[in-house]
Amino acid sequence: MIGRGDLFEAIEYLRREGEGILARFARSKRGVAYAALRFEAVFNRAGAAVGGEPRDGSESESAAYSVSVHVAGTTGLVGHGQTGAEIGALACRPAKLVAELQRGLADAYDRARFSARKKADLIAHLGDAAKGLLVAQIPQREKVRDDVAASFRQDPRSLSTDALKKISLDASREVTALGDAIAYQVVAAMTELRREIFIDTAGTVVSQAYAFSQADCYVVAQIGDGHQESYDSIGQQRGLECLSDGWRGELMPNPDLARFCVNLATEARELAAAPILRPPDGEVVVVTDPHFNALVSHEVIGHPCEADRALKMEAAYAGRSWFLRSLVDNQLGKAVASPMLSACSDPSLDGYGHYRYDHEGTRGRRVMHIDRGIFSGFLNSRATAAVLGVEPNGSARASEGWHVPLIRMSNTFFLPGETPPEKIIAEVERGYYVCGHQIPSISESRENFRISARRVYEIDHGRIGRLYRSGSVIADSKSFFTNVDAVGNDLRLIAIPNCGKGQPMQVKRMSNGGPTLRSRARLAGN
Amino acid sequence: MRTLAELKSFTREAARILAREQDLASYEIYCASAEHRIARLNYTSDIPSRGLEEFKSLHADGFQLRIAMRRDPHEVGAASEAGDFSSESVRDALRRARNAAVVDPHFPGFPSVALGRKPELSEKSDLARVGDGAIAAAAWDVLDGALAAFAKRSGNDRFGASRIEHPGLIIGGDVSVIRDRIAIFNSNFAFADVRIDESAHFNASVTSIIESLDAKGTAGALGDCADAMRRAARVLGRDAVRRALALAHGARPASGKFRVVLGAQPVAEILNYMVMGSLTTGAFHAASSAYHAKFGAPVMDSRLSLADDPAFSAGPIRRRITCEGIPTRRVELIRDGKLVGLLSNFYDAHRLLTDEHRAEKLGASAPAKLDFAALSGYRLGEGAGRRFDASPGAAGTNVVMRARRGLTDRELVRAVGDGIYVGRIWYTYPINGQRAGDFTCTVSGDSYIIRDGEIAEPLAPNCLRMNANLVDVFEHPLAVGMRPHPATVWGSPEAYYVPAIAAGSIALAEVAAT
Repeated sequence: MIGRGDLFEAIEYLRREGEGILARFARSKRGVAYAALRFEAVFNRAGAAVGGEPRDGSESESAAYSVSVHVAGTTGLVGHGQTGAEIGALACRPAKLVAELQRGLADAYDRARFSARKKADLIAHLGDAAKGLLVAQIPQREKVRDDVAASFRQDPRSLSTDALKKISLDASREVTALGDAIAYQVVAAMTELRREIFIDTAGTVVSQAYAFSQADCYVVAQIGDGHQESYDSIGQQRGLECLSDGWRGELMPNPDLARFCVNLATEARELAAAPILRPPDGEVVVVTDPHFNALVSHEVIGHPCEADRALKMEAAYAGRSWFLRSLVDNQLGKAVASPMLSACSDPSLDGYGHYRYDHEGTRGRRVMHIDRGIFSGFLNSRATAAVLGVEPNGSARASEGWHVPLIRMSNTFFLPGETPPEKIIAEVERGYYVCGHQIPSISESRENFRISARRVYEIDHGRIGRLYRSGSVIADSKSFFTNVDAVGNDLRLIAIPNCGKGQPMQVKRMSNGGPTLRSRARLAGN
Repeated sequence: MRTLAELKSFTREAARILAREQDLASYEIYCASAEHRIARLNYTSDIPSRGLEEFKSLHADGFQLRIAMRRDPHEVGAASEAGDFSSESVRDALRRARNAAVVDPHFPGFPSVALGRKPELSEKSDLARVGDGAIAAAAWDVLDGALAAFAKRSGNDRFGASRIEHPGLIIGGDVSVIRDRIAIFNSNFAFADVRIDESAHFNASVTSIIESLDAKGTAGALGDCADAMRRAARVLGRDAVRRALALAHGARPASGKFRVVLGAQPVAEILNYMVMGSLTTGAFHAASSAYHAKFGAPVMDSRLSLADDPAFSAGPIRRRITCEGIPTRRVELIRDGKLVGLLSNFYDAHRLLTDEHRAEKLGASAPAKLDFAALSGYRLGEGAGRRFDASPGAAGTNVVMRARRGLTDRELVRAVGDGIYVGRIWYTYPINGQRAGDFTCTVSGDSYIIRDGEIAEPLAPNCLRMNANLVDVFEHPLAVGMRPHPATVWGSPEAYYVPAIAAGSIALAEVAAT
């Protein structure tokens, strides 16, 4: 299967030798306060079809590492440096692997030492004007040793790539059979196995493996002057069986790939023939379904609950958080939503964002963000937890082996209530039923959002009426959450395959979701 | 990073190996070595911060093979390999490419365009050799300049921001150097030689937020030499802080339709997220272009022209061959308001030209004889460097918008009379899909109220959401700016040089203060 030795064997080599490599490096360089090494090997198979015809197949394997070094300068101020590189098959050869790691550590050390010196210079030069550079020490922690296996029935490495080509082509052909209204369609499927190891100078050695299988479908439907672009994904931390046979997990079920694509294309065709939403001015009652709420929970709960964003570290890129203006002026312990609304992140659940340890070796745990309307906590890393004066909750994760960990969502969602969704709709005299998320635009501190839906239906005297396309929900976040007056019992998680954050951008997989919710908001058409 | 000589030598050796394979009809070897070094700024006056939050580098070296099989020239496969430039790795990649092969009836083969005059290597910049020290020093200079500018205001700052106990000063952004080298060969190339290219540029952006004043100012620079990076670093922090101080305690207008001047950054952002993706052969083939059925027709005001220019003299990005080995040249996209060209890679150009629905997708104004040259086929990764394992896609380089009968910035403001100057927008997306042309975003800083044809008071950051369509901005502007200004868009591979545009009626909805 793999010609020149197994990249995944490098994990075992580093489990044996990695601590020694780090220890020798730390001993050989003055001022090293901490060093960490992460290595990841990935095997991926993919197939794609366009318009019912084959388009792509691939079988790839890769390996990458990243290292992080903290250096205390002569003044005691700490500088930080990182290096990341893709090294591929070089990882199969221990001597080359060690040489690469040593080179990366040396570069990171030089960067950290330089930063420590410049930081001291700036504080000496500007005095109090640079006082923000005085950082709290990251507390020591207990060392952790663990090995976490992946879950799958069909091993991504022992399949044939033909299976991926076939499953995408079969699905694409079924979409083609829907007729000329489908102007364009792409179906892509992939299955991959990732295995990673984290080692630090404090004695933690954690290895984890993940199987991911994912499919994406993009459809353009056109009927007369009407057109609809729809895009959606399904994915599980499982083998290809979750796409070929569908997945019947309680929280995040999905149909088989062909059914998923045909459903999306059928809906797009129906939407292309539907009128564009022309909503009334002012706020209306909106009932939002779990798929739509997945994007609300992602953009308006998950992102502003990332402590790096809240602590202004993302201010130049992805923005700040409306939950934290400063360490003394923030929403912690205050009402930000209706008492009916709760939201959390939980990496222990069986979703696309599942993991046991983050990329700093901290065990991930459930973090309540909103507890019955009260804002209650952020996702954090070890450094941001120290600033906030709380325990690390294991939320620092990188997208690839060569990336620096950022604070990331796991499975982030609104908690369910007890009301059946049918009852929530039946209680509405006039309003709109908003289904399926499409595209978000969120304000800088996530205090306001406009999110487009795939489908918007009128609700008239408790009954679902006419279907519209090109509708979106606009609201100030706190107002939307505070106006929630019904929470469904139909919690669903949705696989989100493409969350971008960082500089340069890292694209991460996770789950988001919630039950049906009822609130008030403005709607917009085009 | 690997040297060009190493990449070239490996590519020749790989070509020799592939040439001996009897079952291959044609093949391509593409090697890339890329490096992205980033000194990321993070200073907060009231929250402990590291100054340089991440001083890091990302390296990616590797190669990709694409093969077409002799038994069916439409049977094509690809495989890539990181790090290992050995003949063993070529053989392993070849095995995987064979496994991956599919019969794609639209595969057009590999480009056979002659290189013509052998262009000089485009990259003579000292950024190709600049070390960590210069990048880190530039980043700390930005921070030094920002903090010194803020501290200096303590004596004469009318708002007293730096005297208050918790000013909430934030300095963010980064100084980044992106460099890449490629070598490419395919069996259809004339003269049977390996083609090479390299480039290096820097991108520095700084955001200053003073939360106690509810103010945000930004500054940025692009360039292709170390000296320009050093000079930029000395002023960017200072400029961003000064701009933020000038925007203190801004107004929060009520929702309505406004006359608006869009500065260079908003115009670049709208082009990036709404227009450039529509100006590709891929988007026309997919029937998803905002200019569906409008090729050859007016799509913007007749004063506006748009082109992509990989040799733009003021631009930081220099490319002399595409990642498919085709010599680059300027691509005219919109000329005097009419859509005249598209960005394309080799596959998508062929796919659109052979599309049975081409006439409907391009529209009645399209010329009968068409040729979409594949002048924009790049294989890019995060940070816009060339990646060894990416597939060729259509992307721009230096995107330049020019305007005839343009006005000065002062005259643009005067043309608006009463309205809003929008200096920065954020999170711009095609809210109803690309083809609909609808977009939404928020006004995030560097903005002012315009009253009686003059800049009046500042606008609070993040207080308005824009809900508009491309037509509102580009089809019937009140006036257009005289000169293109540089602008970058987060996450975009392109550098933009665009004028300001005054639009007659843009819907802006109030965002509640937090």
